[in-house]
Amino acid sequence: MTDAPILSVSHLKKSFGEHEVLRDISFDVSQGDVVSIIGASGSGKSTLLRCINFLEQPTAGTILFQGKNAETQWSRAQYHARVGMVFQSFNLFGNMSVLKNCVVGQMKVLGRARREAEEKALMYLEKVGMAPYRDARPAQLSGGQQQRVAIARALAMDPEVLLFDEPTSALDPEMVGEVLGVMRDLAASGLTMLVVTHEMAFARDVSRRVIFMDAGVIAEDGAPQDIFVHPRQARTREFLSRILQK
Amino acid sequence: MSSLPTTFFGWVGFILDKYGTLFLSGVGVTLLVAITGTVIGFVIGLLVAILRTIPVAPRDPWYRRMPLRVLSALLNVYIEVFRGTPMIVQAMVIYYGSMQMGLRMPVLVAAVLIVSVNTGAYMAEIVRGGIISVDKGQKEAACAIGMTHWQSMVHVVLPQAVRNIMPSIGNEFVVNIKDSSVLNVISVNELFFMSKSAAGTYLRYFEVFFITACIYLALTFTVTRLLRLLERKMDGKTNYIIYGSQSDSKASIVVPKEGGVPND
Ligand SMILES: Nc1ncnc2c1ncn2[C@@H]1O[C@H](COP(=O)(O)OP(=O)(O)OP(=O)(O)O)[C@@H](O)[C@H]1O
Ligand SMILES: [Mg+2]
Repeated sequence: MTDAPILSVSHLKKSFGEHEVLRDISFDVSQGDVVSIIGASGSGKSTLLRCINFLEQPTAGTILFQGKNAETQWSRAQYHARVGMVFQSFNLFGNMSVLKNCVVGQMKVLGRARREAEEKALMYLEKVGMAPYRDARPAQLSGGQQQRVAIARALAMDPEVLLFDEPTSALDPEMVGEVLGVMRDLAASGLTMLVVTHEMAFARDVSRRVIFMDAGVIAEDGAPQDIFVHPRQARTREFLSRILQK
Repeated sequence: MSSLPTTFFGWVGFILDKYGTLFLSGVGVTLLVAITGTVIGFVIGLLVAILRTIPVAPRDPWYRRMPLRVLSALLNVYIEVFRGTPMIVQAMVIYYGSMQMGLRMPVLVAAVLIVSVNTGAYMAEIVRGGIISVDKGQKEAACAIGMTHWQSMVHVVLPQAVRNIMPSIGNEFVVNIKDSSVLNVISVNELFFMSKSAAGTYLRYFEVFFITACIYLALTFTVTRLLRLLERKMDGKTNYIIYGSQSDSKASIVVPKEGGVPND
C-alpha cells in the first residue's frame, strides 16, 4: 500500500438548514482500501457519501483526491468518472437498454468510441453475470440483476474509487448474495471501495477497515476485528449488539 | 346557368364541388401552422426547461448566479405573459406591432411565430411537469458518472420526461389545429379564413361551417391516432433476447411491460 492516500476527507461539514448532519468528518483512504461505513439510521452515512461525490454540496471542509482538491483542481466530469457511485435504488437509466446504460457514460464523458465502449461494457457485464441480458430494459430485470448492472455501469468508467450506498438494502434476501458476491470479487481485485452497509458479515469479513458513524461524527475507525471484537466505545458496543441480535 | 340547390345536402355537395380546392388549401395552411408551431413550441419548451433546471449552489460566485437569476426571471415573464393573454390578442399585437416598427413579416411567418411562441409557453410548463415525474435518482446517477447538466437532461431525463408528457403534447397539437383558426384576424389563409370566404358568396354559413367542422374533426382525430401509434413505438419492444441462454442461443422471453398504460 502506498503512503499517500487516494482520498482524503478533512473537516467535512454538512448542514441542512439548522440541522447539522455531518460535524467535522476527517479520514483518509489508501489505494486498495475496502472501507465499510456502519452506523444507526440517520447518522449521516448517506450524506457523507453524497458529499464525497458532490451530489450534496458540503457546507465546509475539503476533499482531496489523489492529492488534488476535488472541488477546485479536478474538473467535475473527470472527478466523477474516477469516483463512481452505486445507489441503494440502482438508478439505472430507464430509457436505455442494459448495454446502453453501461456505454453512454463512456462515450459522453470519457469520449470513447462506440466499439471500445461496448467491448468494455460487455466485459464488465460478463463479470457481474449480466451479459446475457444486454438488450433488456431495467424495468424488465429483478432488483439483484439491476444492481449488478449498476455496478457494471460504474466499473465501465474505470473508476479508482467506488462508493456504495447500501447496495443491498433494497433487495429481497435471496438476491443479496449475488450482489455481495460481485462486491467481494471487486474487493479482492484491489479496487478502492467505500461501502455504507447494514450487512455486518460484509463489513466484518470483506472490508479491511470499518468506520462507525454516530450523530454526524466518526465515533470509531479501525480494523474489523477491533471494531467487532473489541469496540472501545460504549455507543459502538450498543449499536453492534442491537444490530447483531437481528 | 344551372339552378341553385334547395336541400341542405344539396348545398353541401354544391359547395364541396365549387370550393373543394379552397378548403384543401386551407387545410394545408392549418396543418403547416399547427405542425411547425407545435414542433417549434416543443423545442422552446425543452430549452426553457433545461435552462430553468440548471443547478446553482449558494457557494457559486455571483457572476454565475446573477445571469441565471435574471434568465429565470425573464423566462417566467415569458411564460406568464403568453399563457395569460389570448392568442388572438397576441396575434394582433405581434403582427401589427411589428408592422408599425417597420418589420413587414409575411403573414405565414407571423402565424408560425405566434403559434410557436404561444405553444412554447405552455410546453415549458408541461415539460417541467414531465421532469418532475422522472425519479430524482436518474439525474443523480447521470451526474455520478460525470455527465454535465446538459448531457444528463438530453440523454437521460428529457427522454423519460417526454415519454410521460406525450399525452399533453398531443393535446397541444390538437389545440393548435383548432386554435390556429383565430389567426384569421391577421388574414392567414387557414381553414377558418377560407371557409369564411367560401360562405360569403352564397351566404350559406351553416352548410359551409358544417363542412369545416367535419374537416377539423377529421384532422384532430387522425392526429390523436397517429400520436397513439408514436407513443406505442416509443415504449419499445416488450420482449428481449437472453443471449446464450439454455438450449437455444437466441431464446427469447416475453416479459409483460411494467406500468404499461392501459390504452384503447
Ligand atoms: N436533503 C435533505 N434535506 C434535509 N435533511 C436531510 C436531507 N438528506 C438527509 N437529511 C437528514 O440528514 C440526516 C442523515 O441522513 P442520512 O441519509 O445521511 O442518514 P443515513 O446514515 O444514511 O441513514 P440510513 O441508514 O437510514 O440510510 C437525517 O436526519 C436526514 O433527515
Ligand atoms: Mg442512507
